[in-house]
Amino acid sequence: MNEVMLLFIVLFPFAAGVLVSLIPFKNRKAMLIFIETAVIINSIMVWMILLNRPAGTFTMLKFSGNLSVTFHIDGLATVFAGLVSLLWPLATLYSFEYMKHENHEKIFFTFYVITYGVTLGIATSANILSMYFFYELLTLVTTPLVLHTLKREAVLAARTYLYYSIGGAAFAFIGMIFVIIYGSTSDFIYGGVMNIAPHAENTNLLLFIYVLAFMGFGVKAAVCPFCAWLPQAGVAPTPVTALLHAVAVVKSGAFAIMRLTYYSFGTDFLKGTWAQYTVMGVTIFTIVFGCSMAVKERHIKRRLAYSTISNLSYILFGVTIMTPLGLVGALTHLVCHAVMKICSFFCAGAIMYKTEKSYVYELDGLGRKMPMTFGIFTVSALALMGVPGLCGFISKFNLAKAAVESQNTFSYVGIGALLISAILTAIYMMGIVVRAYFPRQDFDQETIADAKDPNWMMLLPLGLFTVAMLALGLYPTPLLELFRNIAMGLF
Amino acid sequence: MNESVSLLAAILFPVLSGAVLLLLKKLNDRRKVLIYAGIAMGIAGVLILNALLGKEKEILLFFLTEDIPIVLKLDNMGKWFLAIMSLIWILAGIFSFPYMKHEGKERRYFGFYLITLGAMAGLGCAGNLVTMYAFFEFLTLASFPLVIHNQSREAVMAGLKYLFYSLFGAYMALFGLFFLCRYTDTISFIPGGTLNMELAKGNESVLLLAACLMIVGFSVKAGMFPLHAWLPTAHPVAPAPASALLSGVIVKAGVLAVIRVIFYEFGADFIRGTWVQYVFMTLSLITVFMGSMLAFRENGLKKRLAYSTVSQLSYILFGIALLNPVALTGSLLHVAGHAVIKCALFLCAGAVIFQTGITTVDGLKGIGKKMPVTIWCFTIVSLGLIGIPPTGGFISKWYLAVGALESGIKGFQYAGPIVLLVSALLTAGYLLPVTIKGFFPGTDFDYGETKKCEAGAAMTIPIVILAALSVLIGMFPNTFIEFISAFTAGLM
Repeated sequence: MNEVMLLFIVLFPFAAGVLVSLIPFKNRKAMLIFIETAVIINSIMVWMILLNRPAGTFTMLKFSGNLSVTFHIDGLATVFAGLVSLLWPLATLYSFEYMKHENHEKIFFTFYVITYGVTLGIATSANILSMYFFYELLTLVTTPLVLHTLKREAVLAARTYLYYSIGGAAFAFIGMIFVIIYGSTSDFIYGGVMNIAPHAENTNLLLFIYVLAFMGFGVKAAVCPFCAWLPQAGVAPTPVTALLHAVAVVKSGAFAIMRLTYYSFGTDFLKGTWAQYTVMGVTIFTIVFGCSMAVKERHIKRRLAYSTISNLSYILFGVTIMTPLGLVGALTHLVCHAVMKICSFFCAGAIMYKTEKSYVYELDGLGRKMPMTFGIFTVSALALMGVPGLCGFISKFNLAKAAVESQNTFSYVGIGALLISAILTAIYMMGIVVRAYFPRQDFDQETIADAKDPNWMMLLPLGLFTVAMLALGLYPTPLLELFRNIAMGLF
Repeated sequence: MNESVSLLAAILFPVLSGAVLLLLKKLNDRRKVLIYAGIAMGIAGVLILNALLGKEKEILLFFLTEDIPIVLKLDNMGKWFLAIMSLIWILAGIFSFPYMKHEGKERRYFGFYLITLGAMAGLGCAGNLVTMYAFFEFLTLASFPLVIHNQSREAVMAGLKYLFYSLFGAYMALFGLFFLCRYTDTISFIPGGTLNMELAKGNESVLLLAACLMIVGFSVKAGMFPLHAWLPTAHPVAPAPASALLSGVIVKAGVLAVIRVIFYEFGADFIRGTWVQYVFMTLSLITVFMGSMLAFRENGLKKRLAYSTVSQLSYILFGIALLNPVALTGSLLHVAGHAVIKCALFLCAGAVIFQTGITTVDGLKGIGKKMPVTIWCFTIVSLGLIGIPPTGGFISKWYLAVGALESGIKGFQYAGPIVLLVSALLTAGYLLPVTIKGFFPGTDFDYGETKKCEAGAAMTIPIVILAALSVLIGMFPNTFIEFISAFTAGLM
């Protein structure tokens, strides 16, 4: 496969997104068919590229010297691009039904499709400058999606989102500069590119810069104390919250941190330093903090958003173990959490769409009325809790295995945090499930008489995610094999 | 029949038949539900019996990841627990048929009741730690709907308490499991333990911490102090036969898990003499005493029985904590004795509630005149729990006390038997008042008002069988003791 195709998968969604705005579609259906076709074509292209990977790179823009926007596919890119390209068509299908009762569909879908290209851009970046470029772009193209309803709280949320993201990117920028100056190259090379020996006296400075850059990219991955934007951004329509704020955007943050840690600074340099302990401490704190806030929160989507904060830090915790196994654990959770969380968000969206209820205490008795939705929600709740047989257990197991294997006492604390978070997850997820299936005795069934399951456009993605959760939970071996190869630097 | 088929059938049939019953929305007719449940229970019983009679063989089902195989293996330890669990399950199940009439929602009840058996069978058959952990969580989730059956606010809160405590315990155990995977040769259950001493060298302290968390974590299910609070809340709110099942056998899942962890993973030698053993012994003795005291001052009948479970389960745990074969034999005998007795007690309480609606001990005045068979059985099994020969409780307590004295562990050597004796006295103090009030209501009692209102045969017969069993275990314990000592000898 030619390297030029790398450009295609990034730019095609741009073109398609702009066309959605420009073409005067005869009716809604034509527009939807156009969008879905474009997204599916792009996903097929992504998979064709991933399956016959071009070995070389493709430079889109060359600024000066070694500064360029360049694409390349390596193992890590494969995972992220593969994941995103599987989720996008399904999420788009779901949003067709969901967006029916929202306005300005055209603008929405324009940016929804463009974001696809930008996310793939992050995934396939070959050097830190390209990644930074797309990272900033991602902030800009997703802001209109948060802003979508144009209500007061949406405007506020969008503003918060912008401030946090751009502020974070500024820190990341500092990190980038140091990588470019101190590194032998700015390309991503497994094991790191930093040229430490000539600058031994600056070790502490570099470590400090690493922490800064970690926190900078960590804003998108919602590490404490920079996580406040994520629950607020829940005012966006559910397809956005589900796909972007549980997968694409936040995982771009986690992905960037993986690149930063394993491919730029290098774990040999960072391991055992105070920088490692600092960032690990931050992730451990976030794991517990996110879950605790989720227990307290009563709005379903915000509760799930807090849960995302906690789960993203699982991934980052895996990264900060800084061993190959840690990366395996992080990647496993990256994929597993994507499936679980998008699934639970979509269920929440289906509930809100069909019943207009959005608080946990309003869900009494809906389990019987919407059996498919709540059945799937229950599966995703169990998966998030880490019940064996579903994918959450596999990722927890791999993270904990890496932590035990590293023999780093501080990472044992992290295992404890994972398990505390698991019990809190049980509390905030099962609270919803139990209420839905076992309403209070005096509950009046009449109030929800007309609630029912959504149509196939919503149920099909949900069903596929459920299958994926089971498949990943029962037969994760091929995927783990792939991750191990990536973490050994083989793939 | 091939072992793999028979084990899988014993696990899957109850789960699937229960799931089908839950999904059969159209089956609204009470009679049809009962017929379905009855047939399914019969088949499940036969399948379990078939599995119990099979040979011991390790069956590798599949690999979850390449280092986590899912393995089934029904060894003698598993057989002992599974036999007890399924026996109690069947008897309480028969009792449920008439009883559930006044609770309603029978389809859901029997659906989850069947699934629970599958989970218990899986727990007994589990051949390694992860498999057991999976079924342990499954058992919690499957029995949860039984607890909250009547859906009152109280029941739902109690159910959630049960769920969260159990999961908390399970996650504590999971912490240890992660470490075991690293430091053992295999996570399969092998008598004597699988810890790799070369790898473990230098990491003893963290492994002991892991062992402690696993023991305490799994003991949550068995109601050990300080995580016992869910048990007296959750058991009484369930329908009586479900309480019998929960208090009689589901708590034993925790006991089995602790045994597996200590004797089949870490190895008794690794734990003997360490702080973990002392912590475990101390906690279990505190629980024995505290449970009895709390039962003593409790007026609600079912709640009193639940506190009694807290106390009695810690007898068993204490026997395990002593880490010697005699005490372990006592523990395993008490597993059987307590299961039979506690199930009978809860079923008696259920029969009383069903016939008269009385739920407190004070309200039981003169009940012996109305329901003589029930209260007679209650009395017989009470004596068993107190430990008066020739009933079942006596033998197991004897072994526990001898085991404690033989262990020679300073302090606990004497403290153990003393606490057991005091607790036995308290047991008499909280169980016998029921009999006394029931048969000797006092001079001011109006005998004219009483008329016989014995429960129907389907409720009385399981109670009588259980009472008879409790006596039989006490009178002819040798078969059991031989069976148990044959495999406990290899554990230490």
